Amino acid sequence: MDRITIRIRIVQIVSVAALLAAWEAIARAGWVDPLFVPAPSAVTGAMLRVGALAMAGLGDTLAKTAVAYVISVVLGVGGGLVLGSIRSVRQAVNPFVIALYGMPKILVLPWIVLLLGFGTLPAVVYGAIHGVFPILVLVSGAVRDVDHTWLTVARAFGARRRQLYWKVVLPAIVPTVLTGMRLGIVFCLLGVLIVEMFAGVRGMGHVLGSFANGFQAPELFAATALVSMASIVIVLSLDALNDRLSHWRGEAR
Amino acid sequence: MSVALIRAGIVVVALGAWEVFGRLANPLLYVPPSAALPALGRLLTLESYPDLGEHLLLTLREIAVAYGLAIAAGVGGGAVLGLNRLLGRAYGPILAALYAVPAVVWYPSLMLFFGLDAASKIAFGFLLGFFPIALAVLAGIRQVNVQLVTVARAFGASDLVVFRKVMLPAMLFTLAGGLRTGLALSVIGVIVGEVLGSKAGMGSLINHAYGLFRTADYVALVVVTLVLILASDAVAGVVEQRARRWTE
Repeated sequence: MDRITIRIRIVQIVSVAALLAAWEAIARAGWVDPLFVPAPSAVTGAMLRVGALAMAGLGDTLAKTAVAYVISVVLGVGGGLVLGSIRSVRQAVNPFVIALYGMPKILVLPWIVLLLGFGTLPAVVYGAIHGVFPILVLVSGAVRDVDHTWLTVARAFGARRRQLYWKVVLPAIVPTVLTGMRLGIVFCLLGVLIVEMFAGVRGMGHVLGSFANGFQAPELFAATALVSMASIVIVLSLDALNDRLSHWRGEAR
Repeated sequence: MSVALIRAGIVVVALGAWEVFGRLANPLLYVPPSAALPALGRLLTLESYPDLGEHLLLTLREIAVAYGLAIAAGVGGGAVLGLNRLLGRAYGPILAALYAVPAVVWYPSLMLFFGLDAASKIAFGFLLGFFPIALAVLAGIRQVNVQLVTVARAFGASDLVVFRKVMLPAMLFTLAGGLRTGLALSVIGVIVGEVLGSKAGMGSLINHAYGLFRTADYVALVVVTLVLILASDAVAGVVEQRARRWTE
């Protein structure tokens, strides 16, 4: 680490520590109601108490998110390939896709729950609805924008349709697919958590909601910290993967 | 056949299929257009929800306050992080990491802290709107030509003057994009907050209609809310266009 990086780390660590210390002091001094804003020490204690419960909820949520995510990626990439390669379909359908992508999905949440009931299925479906559109829009754009010279050259060398997709189109859209997957995972998790809060019987969203309703602030803060850290770890590891893959692409070229 | 005709055809076919399927399967659950339209009429003539105006106004007020706060904090915070290299490199990544957390996890804490009334919705709308604005300001400042800043400094401009006279004009387009995303997210934040738990506002009406299984009214309320959202985005879009023209 060079000097500037060390200084940055020091600033980061010091400010987080200062924030926690100030928070603890304010809570101890009784300036805020501990019922609503618990001290960090109380939150740490709650983390130990509810750790098992919260981890179980988190596991449940992540399992649903994983299923929703797989559905989103498969439908998003598949649909994106179709929309991107067939011009007439794209022209006809694209405005609707964009509109659905932009539409706040919260408006259909009550209907989804009415239709699919409480539990796992609505969470997975709603998560997938959140995740599929960003991937679909990005991938169809990338497929459309694949350099036509490459396609022409490949055809001139006698490539079949299947070979065109496997050898030219798919490698060309990999960076975009990864960007879409990075966006999609957060959206999927968001969708699953919202359903769990709104009509959950299990999972992290339900855990958070019931702690809030029970005025269990330390437990609520602990669980919130846990799920936040989990999603940061997921996103950062996808970023790291993305970085490695782009290095690999750079060397291959 | 022209593209517009095909698109119109898709809409007609979709509505027709919905009508037929809705009637055959379960009109209460699938609300065919023939049931949704009269419900929309009843809503707009204030028959089904006489106090629609108050709820609409409350939601708009919550959005306005949340968005105003998000702009102030986002532009201010982004400017501080952008102008000070050390702070920017220290807090920028923290900001980006927090942005990667699905924001709804903060909502139960906000609800506990601010209660079920407007304050928790404003806080959530603010939180959602703040990040894209702050990150856009940060990105905008980083793309400003360093020479312009150096020249301005050489002529004795202070940090604030450099920000206002040099950076703001140069990054206007990036900022406008961030402001548009911020508005969309503030709107969503307020409505999500209202749906997840509230006593007043469009989200609470939606929840009320859903809870009582008044599905046609629910669809009508969704349509009205959607118009509200689209209108706000259209305004932001016009502003963005202006900024783009100005920057070019």
